[in-house]
Amino acid sequence: MKTLAKKDINKALGIWAQKHALLAPTKMDNGDCIFSAYDEKAFTLDYKKPPLSPKSVFFPHTEVIFDVANNQYKETVTAKKSLIFGLRACDMMGICQASSFMTRDKEDIYYRAKHNTAATIVMACPGAQNETCFCTTTLSGPVAKEGFDLQLYDTGDSFLVEVGSPRGEELLAGIPLSDLDDSRAKVQMDEFKQNAILTMPEVKSVIEAMNMLKDKKVAEKVWDDFGAKCITCGGCAFVCPTCTCFNVYDQQLSEGNGKRLRAWDACLYGGFTREASGHNPRVSQAARLKRRHEHKLLDYSSIDIQQGLCGCVGCGRCSDYCPVHIGTLEVVKAIAG
Amino acid sequence: MVGLAAMFGSGAMTNSINDFDDADLFLVTGSNTTEQHPLIGSRIINAKQRGAQLLIIDPREIPLAKFADLHLRHNIGTDVAVLNGMMNVIIEEGLYDKDFVETRTEGFEQLKEVVSKYPPKVVEKISGVPAADIKKAARMYAKANKAMIAYAMGITQHTTGVDNVKSCANLAMLTGHMGRAAVGVNPLRGQNNVQGACDMGGLPNVYSAYQPVINADAKKKFEEAWKVEGLDDKVGLTITDMMSAAQKGELKALYVMGENPMMSDPDTTHIDQALSNLDFLVVQDIFLTETAQKADVVLPAASFAEKDGTYSNTERRVQLAQKAISPPGEARPDWQIICEISKLCGYPMDYKSPADVLKEINSLTPSYAGITYERLLTNHGLQWPCPNEEHPGTAFLHKDKFTKGLGTFMPCEFKPPAEMPDEEYNFMLTTGRIYYQFHTGTMTRRVSILEREAPEALVEINPDDAKKLGIRNNDQVELTSRRGSIKMKAEITQRVPQNVVFSTFHFNEACVNILTNPAFDPVAKIPEYKGCAVKIRRCA
Repeated sequence: MKTLAKKDINKALGIWAQKHALLAPTKMDNGDCIFSAYDEKAFTLDYKKPPLSPKSVFFPHTEVIFDVANNQYKETVTAKKSLIFGLRACDMMGICQASSFMTRDKEDIYYRAKHNTAATIVMACPGAQNETCFCTTTLSGPVAKEGFDLQLYDTGDSFLVEVGSPRGEELLAGIPLSDLDDSRAKVQMDEFKQNAILTMPEVKSVIEAMNMLKDKKVAEKVWDDFGAKCITCGGCAFVCPTCTCFNVYDQQLSEGNGKRLRAWDACLYGGFTREASGHNPRVSQAARLKRRHEHKLLDYSSIDIQQGLCGCVGCGRCSDYCPVHIGTLEVVKAIAG
Repeated sequence: MVGLAAMFGSGAMTNSINDFDDADLFLVTGSNTTEQHPLIGSRIINAKQRGAQLLIIDPREIPLAKFADLHLRHNIGTDVAVLNGMMNVIIEEGLYDKDFVETRTEGFEQLKEVVSKYPPKVVEKISGVPAADIKKAARMYAKANKAMIAYAMGITQHTTGVDNVKSCANLAMLTGHMGRAAVGVNPLRGQNNVQGACDMGGLPNVYSAYQPVINADAKKKFEEAWKVEGLDDKVGLTITDMMSAAQKGELKALYVMGENPMMSDPDTTHIDQALSNLDFLVVQDIFLTETAQKADVVLPAASFAEKDGTYSNTERRVQLAQKAISPPGEARPDWQIICEISKLCGYPMDYKSPADVLKEINSLTPSYAGITYERLLTNHGLQWPCPNEEHPGTAFLHKDKFTKGLGTFMPCEFKPPAEMPDEEYNFMLTTGRIYYQFHTGTMTRRVSILEREAPEALVEINPDDAKKLGIRNNDQVELTSRRGSIKMKAEITQRVPQNVVFSTFHFNEACVNILTNPAFDPVAKIPEYKGCAVKIRRCA
């Protein structure tokens, strides 16, 4: 197996940046770390879970679907050759699940175009990034099983380099690498993985809640209580790696000129399901929360979840960021009692 | 703000947002907190779940009401009576903080005399709140160890706005809920930088940090700093004054920045006439607002994401915002536009950057002296007063003494709203904002999802009233006041009590401020947006 010396990481990133729009963990002035355009000075390997998953590479917050100029319609499909460096296994699984959903039966050409041209380099996760990580329960980490082009394992002074695709092989061209005996590499990888797993014991309430939902044993009061608290900000959907719902709208610039766009939407908004008559089949915030969590834990497609447990990848961001504590972890705990 | 300044010596939230996590009781009045300050609202909900108590005084059944231990739904504009009633009970039953009153305050005897006229039975007649509930509320608030009052525009936007604020402050001082963590009087500011605009002297009577323009020392200090002579030492006009001066032809020119009076000021038909009467109107904004459409000159400004600078939020925290994208077209940050205009007027301002401007603020504004650009780069903001660069900022005000020394009780008598319902105009209209739209909609009405969530003005009508008037949900109705008439759809809901209707000022298709009363508080000059008389009919 190939290895990459840690001291050569900026050299490698520099080479990748020549041919890709490279996103990498970046330290901001205030100490936060986000995925941002690679900049050698702000780049860091010392990062925790970034606040947002890299889903906007494939599914931008807002994008133009078509333009109309002088009453002539012109489809707009944009994609650039991008490379996401350093994402964790949970986010890799998020990309796998979302891309299955977006391209499986009805191809979303806007998503597909970006997915085809985006390469991924996963940084195998050394363990719980904070107290809300539960990828070991959702079978989506700490190490990615598939979907990546390269996966790196941090072994101290160097990275073990796992190749996941022919594109991954191509990415290694020109990168200064060393060789390590395959069996020794395997021992190191297993040890890395085991150490990481130890930091994240299985969250039993996730499994229990899934079973109770399946057996229809969940009291409506659970949803009523959460519904009373929810402030309808939609933040849980925006930080979720597997949420891909969008709203389509038009901007008219002048007579015969304008564009159609799509933008992130959230099923927690009343208007998401409101019908033209004014009737809303999910009339209360409780009903909307119930639907959202059932979608992740009960009504997921067995194809879309790939090798995972369900439609949640265990990144814990909804629990990290919900201002009133209605993340997946809080919901399963309330269900499981 | 004027009210708190008179009693305490400074007009701002006395405590901090983090304090909401530690308080034992919240008295929320005139604030639809979960919709207008959702993150503070969330903290109140979380606090309820750890066992804190919640007391709400609001005519409307706001979303937070379902968490309330007690909700007093008083008649609109009777806030002073209700708060006096609570103080009456607190004094009668000896529940006030005698030590605090003795050592930290003055004017207790006057307060006692005034509130003695407001026993719960009398207040019940004025406010419609059962006497027993007033007693219960008084005991809850007085007995709590750490009780915070949070209020917003429901307290201030009345002809008795200043009296309402003073009554909140009287209540907090009387019970010793002042000068500690997780207590105090906390006006929640309705815009991200309205506190900063006031702090910087964006008022007709003060320089930055509330240094009065009529004070000769302050005048001299600013004349020296700006190397000019003859700064005006007379108090200028408030917006309310400007509009009537324009109407009379006494005001000739107006320069409006980031404000949309054609939608946001009361009795907009008159505002339209006043603005039309000007010789010259300049509007500086990010979009062509209803007001900008009337302007002689429109100066395109940069949006929040297109400029560097600081905002001072509701808890007196000055925070840095950094530019994310460049302004489109000819748009520029406000400070650059002002510098350019000043230069053309013959007074060159040569600030190089927002950091440069803040340096001047540090040197002239005692409470901002230690809030430097360099410090803000490396933290999440600093709360004033922050008098020097070593100072960590101030989480709560009036710790051992009030800014002005002793806190002064300023008792107020109840006065009804300027325009009460009568036989013809038989409903009280109260106005506000909703969750999905902001103010006059200049920004939010351009966002597709917000527009989907709340695309049009609705008027909330109580089911009993609706039945009497033969109005069904979603019927088109006409609202008429002495000033004008608008049409919108009815939303039949228990959220409003009988004889009260509620609507919002977000929608130019049905601008509710065509109806509102321009009567204003005599001191603060804030108009009575929260109550005017209207009549309603179902459109055929």
